[in-house]
Amino acid sequence: MTDTTLRNMQEWMQNALTQPHLVQKEEVAARLTSSNRLSGSQRLAIYQRSYISRLCMCLAEQFPASREALGEELFDNFARVFLARDPSDSYTLYELGRRFPAFLEETQPDGVDPDSQPETWVNFMIDLATYERALFVLFDAPGHEGNLWPTSDTPDEDLVLQPCFNLGAYRFPVANYYHNVLEKSGSGLPPLAESYVAITRYDYFTSSIPITGPHYKFLQAMQETQSVDASLGQLATSIGVPKENLQETWVTHIRDRWIANHFFVDRNTLSKE
Amino acid sequence: MPDAAKVASQVSALPKLGLGVGLRNEHFNHILSEKPDVDWFEAISENFMDSGGRPGWIIRQIAEHYPVVLHGVSMSIGSTDPINETYLQRLKTLADDVQARWVSDHLCWTGVQSVNSHDLLPLPLNQETLDHVIARVHYVQEVLKRPLILENPSTYASFQNSDIPEPEFLRALSDATGSGLLLDVNNVYVSCFNDGSNPLDYLESIPFDRVVQMHLAGHTHCGSYLLDTHDQPVTRAVWELFRLAWQRSNGASTLLEWDGDVPDFQSLHQEVLKARDFMQGELDTTLVTQEQPVQKHTNVSNPVDFMVPTIRNHSRLGT
Ligand SMILES: [Fe+2]
Repeated sequence: MTDTTLRNMQEWMQNALTQPHLVQKEEVAARLTSSNRLSGSQRLAIYQRSYISRLCMCLAEQFPASREALGEELFDNFARVFLARDPSDSYTLYELGRRFPAFLEETQPDGVDPDSQPETWVNFMIDLATYERALFVLFDAPGHEGNLWPTSDTPDEDLVLQPCFNLGAYRFPVANYYHNVLEKSGSGLPPLAESYVAITRYDYFTSSIPITGPHYKFLQAMQETQSVDASLGQLATSIGVPKENLQETWVTHIRDRWIANHFFVDRNTLSKE
Repeated sequence: MPDAAKVASQVSALPKLGLGVGLRNEHFNHILSEKPDVDWFEAISENFMDSGGRPGWIIRQIAEHYPVVLHGVSMSIGSTDPINETYLQRLKTLADDVQARWVSDHLCWTGVQSVNSHDLLPLPLNQETLDHVIARVHYVQEVLKRPLILENPSTYASFQNSDIPEPEFLRALSDATGSGLLLDVNNVYVSCFNDGSNPLDYLESIPFDRVVQMHLAGHTHCGSYLLDTHDQPVTRAVWELFRLAWQRSNGASTLLEWDGDVPDFQSLHQEVLKARDFMQGELDTTLVTQEQPVQKHTNVSNPVDFMVPTIRNHSRLGT
């Protein structure tokens, strides 16, 4: 006898969506009615097809450049494997892509570019997906809009990183690649070249700003200490340059540019959550 | 039950908002800059309830100028998993913030065992399910401190152990909890076609005194079944059904849903304004789209990709 409690029916139907290959025809007939046009299995298949296509479309929206890089067919194949392995566990679709970069990292799908080493291609995909996810999260994260921004007169002691800030180190110039894809100006596998990117948000626009390796280290220290002075000290030790020299570069070359690019806010203007 | 009566009277007092359209990302700028003369907007709750960014800011701006109703897809009122308390609290916060005229979701379940299918899945309609959903609606209304308005979903399959027709089920649910109804006439048409039943019989058993809102939408004819795709104009048959429903609905607020291949705002607004002609009982056949089965379709039912914000227009490469 088929268990027809609500709980059982729901577990059965959900499994039929997430693991359609395991569905037994007799069980479908025992649970679902046929209509004048379609059998129970055909009716179930409408849900099965829509389930996977619907979520693939959402992932494609969240990773447009990854999809461009992989090609639609291959991207959708990865998306299907990902969704079967890691079904959504959140009420919001915004979370759907959270584990996608990690999935690429763990599964190391085979390369598709015949001209490149397989692992080179995979690493590019992992980095690109990581960058796309970071952009997506920053678009909707709580930010500093509606509050005052610092100026070049704001003292160093008051500067902290803004709430909507992301720091990334990549093996490829993924931010360039992403924006090239959007502008439709070429999308071949970019050269292997380390890139560092800071993402900031102002007036609900994200800006991806290329930075150098030492900048990256400094900003990492900022994330940790939220103190310009301490971060300059950490960087000096790390790269073996006197702190005074760094202090000078900071003041003459970096500070005002980064303030203008909304890296920082004045700690006194942060809303107390 | 006393609180059912109280909720029912709150439902009866809900405003008649007129003809509204679903709030979609593509139209944010137009709405904010042009302030079009639209009666009201329906916003998908999940798009805004966690937003610390632009969507969250936009909905608060829009709520200052227009009545807003929140329409959810993730409450999963029929699921046998526990209700997600975080979800309910965030929904309540958003509803309070935007002074939502009401909060709606669907008579469905979206997943069990902590999985979310992001689909509006059908329920076996029987006494066990009815008791289960009644208890959960009571609870949700208690937490939200407002009535829950539930919509008839579009369905593609029916269960062997369903023995209560959907309109009867909705009536019993409404009687027991005081909850209101969102009658989606397109879903009525789609579900009845897929089930081989008569949409006129369906309308016959709907408790129209509980109908707070109606939905209009376009669907895709796939030959042996219809898909609720929300990506084209309302079909002639659905307009006809709307006309019949409207005559009995006592002025229910009416809203057009359009989620795929979304037209520009004016065209969208024009489409819902056609409802006026049908309300007056006239049928101008030149206004309505004649339905044709499509040969090849890649559409899905209950599309959700429109709910993912397109961030590319808000991203730039700095120097
Ligand atoms: Fe609807």
